[in-house]
Amino acid sequence: MKRRGFAFELGIAAAALVVLAILPVLFPSKALVDFAIRVAAFGIFASSLNILVGYTGLVSFGHGMFFASGAYAFGLLMQKAGTSIPTAFLLTLLFSAALAAVVGAICVRLKEIYFAFLTLAFQMLLHSLIISWQQLTGGDQGLMGGIPRPPFLGINLADQSHLYLFACATLIVSLLIMRHLMQSPFGYTLRMIRDNAERAQFIGIRVWRMRLGAFILAGTFASIGGIIMSLLVSGAYPEFAYWTISGEAIFMLMLGGTSAFLGPTVGTMMLLLLNDVITKFTEYYGLTLGVVILLFALVFRKGVTDFALEAWRRRFGENQT
Amino acid sequence: MSKNEKQQNPIARRRFLKSATALGGAAALGFPMISRAQAKTIKVGMPTILSGRVAQLGISSRNAVMLEVDKFNAAGGLGGRKIEMVVRDSKGQPAEAARVSRELVNSDGCEILFDAEASSGAFAVQEVARDLGVLVFHINSETSSLTADPKIRIPNAFRTARQGVHDSIVGGSYAAAVAKAKGLRKWMTCSPDYAYGRDTTAQFTEYLKMFYPEAEIVGEAWPKLFQPDYTEVITKILQAKPQALYSCLWGGDLTSYIDQGNIYALFAATEFFAVNMADYTALTAVKNLPVGIHSGNRYIKTFPRTPANAAWGDAYRAKFGEYPTNWSWESATTAQFLISAIKKTNSADGKKLAEALRGMKIDSPFGTDGTITMRAEDQTIVGYAIGWGTTISKEPYIPEVKAGDWKQIFELELDWKKRNKYL
Repeated sequence: MKRRGFAFELGIAAAALVVLAILPVLFPSKALVDFAIRVAAFGIFASSLNILVGYTGLVSFGHGMFFASGAYAFGLLMQKAGTSIPTAFLLTLLFSAALAAVVGAICVRLKEIYFAFLTLAFQMLLHSLIISWQQLTGGDQGLMGGIPRPPFLGINLADQSHLYLFACATLIVSLLIMRHLMQSPFGYTLRMIRDNAERAQFIGIRVWRMRLGAFILAGTFASIGGIIMSLLVSGAYPEFAYWTISGEAIFMLMLGGTSAFLGPTVGTMMLLLLNDVITKFTEYYGLTLGVVILLFALVFRKGVTDFALEAWRRRFGENQT
Repeated sequence: MSKNEKQQNPIARRRFLKSATALGGAAALGFPMISRAQAKTIKVGMPTILSGRVAQLGISSRNAVMLEVDKFNAAGGLGGRKIEMVVRDSKGQPAEAARVSRELVNSDGCEILFDAEASSGAFAVQEVARDLGVLVFHINSETSSLTADPKIRIPNAFRTARQGVHDSIVGGSYAAAVAKAKGLRKWMTCSPDYAYGRDTTAQFTEYLKMFYPEAEIVGEAWPKLFQPDYTEVITKILQAKPQALYSCLWGGDLTSYIDQGNIYALFAATEFFAVNMADYTALTAVKNLPVGIHSGNRYIKTFPRTPANAAWGDAYRAKFGEYPTNWSWESATTAQFLISAIKKTNSADGKKLAEALRGMKIDSPFGTDGTITMRAEDQTIVGYAIGWGTTISKEPYIPEVKAGDWKQIFELELDWKKRNKYL
């Protein structure tokens, strides 16, 4: 089956945005709105990790550093520099891209477990820096006193409904750009590198440069997730840079799947839902979630969208992902 | 009920439905206020730490709150309206504390929040309260800026915990008196390497030097939080040979440190000032509690030495089978303030309660003079029992506690606020 074009995906994205916009009207619940904002933040974060894991074959254990860099850079710019939200947003993306370029230049030359652990080491370095640089970051207490959210272009992000729409729009635009990039020649080059890096090198592709490009791209998008989270909780905390947040992103990929583009977003919804439901009813959150993860890792060995994609292919015989 | 039984009793079923409809109608039409009042509880959300290394503190917070709330409910509540506690685990993560707090208000319909988090979580809950405008009590955060800094303070948040700056003033004053008497000039510090450890140590040494200018800090050691092995730190201290040592290590870290320090006879060689020692969790966990450790009180049932405090400690232990913690008395105080405000205003409305809480003085087993006041200007408690003493190896562990002077605390706190441009 021939792949549909960008215009079709743009239409789907616009329709999704309309559905999300009217959702709170149909189901007026602040809890639902909060949940959707968190899905947006972590959905972008997990999808950005999938650029590395699913498309490039690089399993990063330190992707949380960019989530944290997004939250802290944005929060500090708003608190200390008093910039407008769009300016802080763009500067944060630039900062995270620069950070990803520096970290990536060192890490992407390594493969497999060495790459994974070096990224983890950089993340823990950032975590230590946040804890130690107390005067700037507030140390373990995080950015205190709230993040100012002055209105811009008629948008007031201190208002939960505005923040909801902003987060949904950011999620959809981010997913659309990531999708477009992954369907471009660059995206297919990454797949080739994932499947056979040596062959890619033989046909003249500078593998490390492509990997670095993917790393910068993934880091930049991850920071958008951090920005949304910092807006929701009106702060930034060292836990954003802790290794567990990278672990959660990997769980999201495991639950949702890496083959389908929306797999990480579906996995995000599943993990957050599990978290919210389980913590409501039991204090043994870790035990219950661990069992679910084990089930996916040992029994299913795929995410839910992987199963759905396979069923779709069996039904319609489509090969595109 | 089997299918046959159902078929045999259609009239009974109809009669039941009619009765239920009539009862429901009567409740809705004839006695709406009564049915609503009986149904609607005062829902209080409580994010706290119920899992991980400091779960014991969160559990002790919940226990203490329930002790007070159960009493209020058993006495009939507010005209039949009882307090319903909704307690959730934040896992000690600030972002999760924020999420849980929002969920408690937005999804569970809680009108009031008891923030039983450590400091980092408290700042996260503060921002939720700022956004949602809900009445919040910070139960356990000792970080002074939470209520002292006007940029952070909000009108709907009250602190019912001790404060770092109060502890430092009393600790500095007490340590200086001991140092003068014993000629302890060479001091060293050993505190956990994070914001609380650094802030508290800096404030303690500042006041130590203020009261005893001859004191000199000859070295600092900053072990990591939850560090398992203190050999390197202990060796460093033994090499520096300080006459006195200050630490704000707490909980399991403090007990591990003392157990390991005992192997090197560290506490025989130096006078040890540990602000967080006098809490039952630490006192009962140390294998061989050295005699003569100087400590600030956290919670011990012998200070204040009153029947009310002893009775409260015993009641807690009888109900939960363990000693209360520092977080316990703070949590009980929170519930006592809320209940007093509810009774005073005859309401559960957040704004009315906040108005009543400002400047409120309550009778308390944990007050220096049997009362604790919610200071109106910065919405934080004052007048709670605060003092220092030395340990013995068995109960009552700290037989004599020298109470801090609240007049002195107020004077120096004012000066501290001015220096930090909080006023």
